[in-house]
Amino acid sequence: MPALATGLIAAPDSAPEQNLVVIFLRGGADGLNILVPHGDDAFYRARPTIGRKKDDLVNLDGFFGLHPALSSWERLWKDGTLAAVHCAGSEDTTHSHFEAQDFMEHGGLIAGGWLGRFLRNRPDAATSPLGAIALGSSLPEVLRGAPSCAAISSIDDFTLDAPPAFTQSLTSLYSRSGSLLGPAGASALAALDRIQSLSATKYTPADGADYDPKDDFASGLREIARLIKARVGLQAATIDLGGWDSHITNDSLMAGSLARLGKGLTSFTTDLGAHLASTTILVMTEFGRRVAENSALGTDHGAGSVMFVAGGGVKGGRQLTQWPGLTEALTGPGDVPIVTNYRNVIAPTLTRLSPKTDIARIFPGFSLDPLPLFA
Amino acid sequence: MTSRRQFLLLTGAGLAAAGCDQVERFTGLADDPLAPFRPPTGAELDDVSHLLNRTTFGPRPGDHARVTAMGAAAWLDEHLSPDSISDRQTDRLTARYEALRSEPLGELMEFDEKDLLDQMIREKILRATHSKRQLLEVMVDFWSDHFNIDPSKGDSKWLKPADDRLVIRRHALGKFSDLVRASALSPSMLWYLDGRVNQKKHPADHPNENYGRELLELHTLGVHGGYTQQDVMEAARTLTGWTVRERSKSRYGVGVVEFNAKLHDDGPKTILGQTLPAGGGEKDIERLIDLVAHHPATASYLATKLCRRFIADEPPEAAVKSVAATFLSSKGDIPATLRALFATPEFLAAKGGRIKRPFHFIVSALRACSATTDAGKPLQDYLHRMGHAPFHYPTPDGYPEEPQPWMATLLWRWRFALRFAGGKINGTNCPKDALAKAAGSPEKLHAHLLGRMPNDEEVAALKTADSPIALLLAAPAFQTF
Repeated sequence: MPALATGLIAAPDSAPEQNLVVIFLRGGADGLNILVPHGDDAFYRARPTIGRKKDDLVNLDGFFGLHPALSSWERLWKDGTLAAVHCAGSEDTTHSHFEAQDFMEHGGLIAGGWLGRFLRNRPDAATSPLGAIALGSSLPEVLRGAPSCAAISSIDDFTLDAPPAFTQSLTSLYSRSGSLLGPAGASALAALDRIQSLSATKYTPADGADYDPKDDFASGLREIARLIKARVGLQAATIDLGGWDSHITNDSLMAGSLARLGKGLTSFTTDLGAHLASTTILVMTEFGRRVAENSALGTDHGAGSVMFVAGGGVKGGRQLTQWPGLTEALTGPGDVPIVTNYRNVIAPTLTRLSPKTDIARIFPGFSLDPLPLFA
Repeated sequence: MTSRRQFLLLTGAGLAAAGCDQVERFTGLADDPLAPFRPPTGAELDDVSHLLNRTTFGPRPGDHARVTAMGAAAWLDEHLSPDSISDRQTDRLTARYEALRSEPLGELMEFDEKDLLDQMIREKILRATHSKRQLLEVMVDFWSDHFNIDPSKGDSKWLKPADDRLVIRRHALGKFSDLVRASALSPSMLWYLDGRVNQKKHPADHPNENYGRELLELHTLGVHGGYTQQDVMEAARTLTGWTVRERSKSRYGVGVVEFNAKLHDDGPKTILGQTLPAGGGEKDIERLIDLVAHHPATASYLATKLCRRFIADEPPEAAVKSVAATFLSSKGDIPATLRALFATPEFLAAKGGRIKRPFHFIVSALRACSATTDAGKPLQDYLHRMGHAPFHYPTPDGYPEEPQPWMATLLWRWRFALRFAGGKINGTNCPKDALAKAAGSPEKLHAHLLGRMPNDEEVAALKTADSPIALLLAAPAFQTF
């Protein structure tokens, strides 16, 4: 019999829980207007009107520049916390949001989500009732099959709202219970204690981190930071940001979402402070956009986009894909090619989170070649 | 169309006018769920409470008295032939999910897959909660795990309702070999375990072993059942050529399962020491299923799993042996096998020693309180939080039956108990007052919820409880069965 899976509350002096935060940009985010290849002339030939000019970017390395809405990421890039992987994506060729999201969240034509599989295959699976959360009203496919997952909007969704006599009675009844229920009850009561005191305390983000209270993406990140810092056994959190389907007026359509993404992630990393060392953040989207602009000054559904990885152990300040150029290399109807399969970005991240988990089992039927993202 | 039919269901006046409904109205009154009832009176779980705990999703008010009166043997006889029990009230409760029963199966594709999944979950919760054929529901749950399909892959999203209805439910209390055969050719299973692409078109083609392996490892012989890698490959060869028409490739007959002789490896095969001669064609599958469904390793593997479900986490050896022997002698007759299990002394000796899985916990609470529910999102949310939502387990081994993986779910059980008893789960109603009245006294209500009289600690705790129902549903005793 394996050891009882009930130790859900970390002792204050134990090694911190490794957390994964997945930010999914739903709608097909245009990687070329997020991390702009200003060093490639072909980019401006394909986008004579909407291609953002070099002077208008946060120049990172002489070839790539960040969209100005992400200017606050420059610090993360420079201090090595943030890495980018361009021309990343999946082999799905449907160009359908739904099919492509499903394919990416499942990890192929497979039942269940890759994150759900990962959480179930970890040696320390099912140790916490708060193991996985999705910020929002519904559970994303990526978490399908997780040993525990809750869609929440705030930490208050975890409280019990019970009169004190209720928990006192449970304490007494469970303390007299047998070898399984006794320890499980004690553990749940301890978790409850931690959550109640957390919920009762007004949360002040650290280091002046400035979450926009009117932005539910920012508020979601704030709740995730709060749970990570409280060390209540969180292993994974997912949060979505929409508004990327820029078929018309590419840049102005994306501007709002880009600003939320930029500011949100910066507030989040600032707030996490030292906890960022035990947190990995993945930013991904189902596909990028066509390279050439269309007649409405927008871009249509494409293939490769950019992924970002930030957090502890990341060897950042780098873009890890060999740039293929935007001429002969294009695929399909003129899409950015997939140079790095998205699984090769996720796989090393999962290995870092749980070195003992066999990641090949998380992505069956795919031959992994993990990207060297971590130091 | 809201119609006369619904109107008739809702009003007594309408019923009198409709001849055939009149009989049911009578049945309905006879089973008034909250008529005064007599709860158990023992200090420990008695045989009747035990039988109800293990063969149902938890006793309803009045069940204990009813089974005591009719006798356990008669009760089991009924439940082992579920067709003998009229269950039209449950059929009516789930009638609105008619999309799930679409025929031909291609019709299922007309529906939104998320909606189909929601309907499947609701139907499963409602049937487990309300069906009078409780042992059937328990076995449906058992086989749903044994032949697990996560419908989120490919066309399975639309085809799983047919698997639930035509494979699992149809054969749950039938012959095991029929169950395996139906599952092997279930369009949803052909998607889930890649049978649809298991083919030999060219001499160099390797069969896809995914289903063949799980057939031996999980569905029949068990991982220690003595088969070899060679047997897996031969089983896969035997099954080549069975395909299912795909949504993305066919306009007509989507979901139809076909045998394509050109994709079948028709050479001779040797499996588990038996030879299937060349030229068997579409009959090969019959030979294979005959062989594996009645194998002694299958008997002991299934007996072990059944004894774990119905007797103890560590199944007692003597019971496993006796159940396996009956499985073999009855040629895989599931009711006969279960009858043998319930007759073992180990079954009666195992009172209260198992821990409910989250689905069982929630449904048993609904049943104990005679709750009504729409089984909607707010209720399903608790199952997600506890990692036990129906049709969501990703891998073919099904949700674990062992207690350990579920031990971190107490917090959510307590929250459920409080909010359910407090009337705070949208779409679900706990009729506290009517229940208390039907039980007759607080002491009797407590005994009903526990299946026995409360012990000293429980009595002390109940004295300070705002809501005795919430406390008892959250207490250790209600987590066990």
